[in-house]
Amino acid sequence: MTDAPSFGARLRSRLAGLLPSLRLRLVVVFALVALTAAVSASGIAYWLNRDAVLTRAQNAALNDFRKAMEDNAGNLPRKVDCGQLREAAAKMARSSQNYQVLLVDETESGKRCAAASNLDDFALGDVPDRLRHAVEEKRPVTKQNKHPYHLYWQRITLDGDPYLVGGAKVIGEDPTPTGYLLKSLAPERDDLSSLGWSLGIATGLALIGAMLLAQAAATTVLRPVRRLGDAARRLGEGKLETRLRVSGTDELAELSRTFNDAAASLEQRVAELSAREASSRRFVADMSHELRTPMTAISAVTEVLEEEQDNLDPMIAPAVQLVVSETRRLNDLVENLMEVTRFDAGTARLVLDDVDVADQVTACIDARAWLDAVELDADRGIMARLDPRRLDVILANLIGNALKHGGSPVRVSVHTRERPDGGDGDELAIEVADQGPGIPEDVLPHVFDRFYKASASRPRSEGSGLGLSIALENAHIHGGEITAHNAPSGEGGAVFTLHLPRDARRVAEEWERENGEGTGEHPRHGGDRAQDEGEDR
Amino acid sequence: MARVPFLLLIEDDDAVRTALEMGLTRQGHRVATAASGEDGLKLLREQRPDLIVLDVMLPGIDGFEVCRRIRRTDQLPIILLTARSDDIDVVVGLESGADDYVVKPVQGRVLDARIRAVMRRGERESNDAATFGSLVIDRAAMTVTKNGEDLQLTPTELRLLLELSRRPGQALSRQQLLRLVWEHDYLGDSRLVDACVQRLRAKVEDVPSSPTLIRTVRGVGYRLDPPQ
Repeated sequence: MTDAPSFGARLRSRLAGLLPSLRLRLVVVFALVALTAAVSASGIAYWLNRDAVLTRAQNAALNDFRKAMEDNAGNLPRKVDCGQLREAAAKMARSSQNYQVLLVDETESGKRCAAASNLDDFALGDVPDRLRHAVEEKRPVTKQNKHPYHLYWQRITLDGDPYLVGGAKVIGEDPTPTGYLLKSLAPERDDLSSLGWSLGIATGLALIGAMLLAQAAATTVLRPVRRLGDAARRLGEGKLETRLRVSGTDELAELSRTFNDAAASLEQRVAELSAREASSRRFVADMSHELRTPMTAISAVTEVLEEEQDNLDPMIAPAVQLVVSETRRLNDLVENLMEVTRFDAGTARLVLDDVDVADQVTACIDARAWLDAVELDADRGIMARLDPRRLDVILANLIGNALKHGGSPVRVSVHTRERPDGGDGDELAIEVADQGPGIPEDVLPHVFDRFYKASASRPRSEGSGLGLSIALENAHIHGGEITAHNAPSGEGGAVFTLHLPRDARRVAEEWERENGEGTGEHPRHGGDRAQDEGEDR
Repeated sequence: MARVPFLLLIEDDDAVRTALEMGLTRQGHRVATAASGEDGLKLLREQRPDLIVLDVMLPGIDGFEVCRRIRRTDQLPIILLTARSDDIDVVVGLESGADDYVVKPVQGRVLDARIRAVMRRGERESNDAATFGSLVIDRAAMTVTKNGEDLQLTPTELRLLLELSRRPGQALSRQQLLRLVWEHDYLGDSRLVDACVQRLRAKVEDVPSSPTLIRTVRGVGYRLDPPQ
């Protein structure tokens, strides 16, 4: 029992291996069935026909021969000469059945005489010995066997043509004449072979018809299957609105209906999820937008307060100082939140410019009064096409983070190298290394997470908790990356490496294409750019 | 300039308007305020301010439209306050004819610095003139004529043309121009330059779409070609 299914499965897999396509399998099976049916029907028809045709021809010839023997050979005188025999044979052969006759008898002189109706065509040598013996043999007369001699026949082939040979001995006092007949079966053979041909052609036609039918059947089955396959592929590519046209009530229609239901519920689910996500993102975006207006008012007034600080009551001055510094922090937080929501919504854009990287790094450090705490290793003249504001955000976050957690001096080095992924153009690599204790291994994978606090024991950072995440997003929008690792022990602390393509134009164009719709467009500006590119050619 | 700059602040939010007015007054400016675009346009005609600080998000006609309407008749400097620093707002604002923009929440000092920089653009420096084909730049009178006709240029456009004309045939990068014209630090928005160049081309070039005077130098910036 256990072997049976495995054998079946083996057979199926063998079949599938031999006939990989369903269409081929259907055609082969149809052809085999048609062939079996047609061949067996034709074979049976052929054999029945052959039997009937031959039997009828034989019986007619043999009956006629028997009668002719009785009429002619039976009336011959006891002592006959060869001439009489020949005459009798010729007379017998003149029958409608169209056969040759050979009469054998003993002549007066005691010799045997074989007289044929036509000597050229029929001689005693043509009669097989076994038939001759059977005809000549005298059997004892009993209850079952009423006569000592019988009529025997046999089918033989002479010179490639089929013949019927029959023989009988006249019953009476010996010696009696023995007669043989030879009838050509060529007409019957021709009839049968033409029948065979017809049957063969019919079988062939049936086979072709079956294969065409199989093709048609395969097409009707496979077209919906292919449509289903196409639809499933489109669904997989994210075109969730894909549906199949359902026609009929067969199993394939049922399958199509099931597919449509599944696609519909999938689409609905995805729509719900993305609506929920969009609304939560919109909430954060709206919230930070809403925060900006009061923040603007507060900041403007805070500056007034700050300038008046010296003239304030010493009891109030610390409170004002706190308000001023916390306002600034809140400002940064709102600013960073805005930045994050722009990345999430895909509305962030690159504003590319050609800049000297060393100048940018120097300016970034200079603007924040970090010159004493940073060692810069960068050659002037490394030009890159990137968004200078975003590069500044990345650098400020990386260097600021290094100063905060690692301590000075922070080493910043700028290199260019071929892109490791084999992409076109060079890559810019900016390394920011600090002298601190490094980042714990379990924290390393999370350093770019939003609001990730390494541990409760770590001193509360002054940043918003979004800095490194924003730096990473800014690298990504350039088609770049930031990696973090620890320098080998004894050589320093954490090392952040920023990789950027030296020409971010292609990335910017792709970004523009992908996020172009739904976020508004500025065709005039785009036109300006295109025209700028074009006019120098 | 010796006299106190007279600003018109158009801002719909009461708190922001009051706070900015307070801050700007403390920085030594004379400030008039309007709560809507319509009021602002009326005040502009009545009081002729030196500069406009304009919020983008206004009830009724928005800041971009106000900007466009002002530019039809006047070339005075306009600084946009964009509540959203969405890049699309900046681009539309610059195309509407704004000279500079500041992103909310605004630092009072930053706004003050931008205002002073814009005001300085109208100051004359030298007393010579330059001719570029049909274009005549008179640095003494601070006027530009094309085929003898006066061109209406904003102070920013004029300053950009002056800076380019001072170094004919020499390409200036966008960052250089930002420092020279806008007095921005190293992080200036290069789209300010692009937008201003487009506006300037529309006024000085024969065919603005195929410029012959202000040429783009790929990978560098812009240059003013000396007459052939």
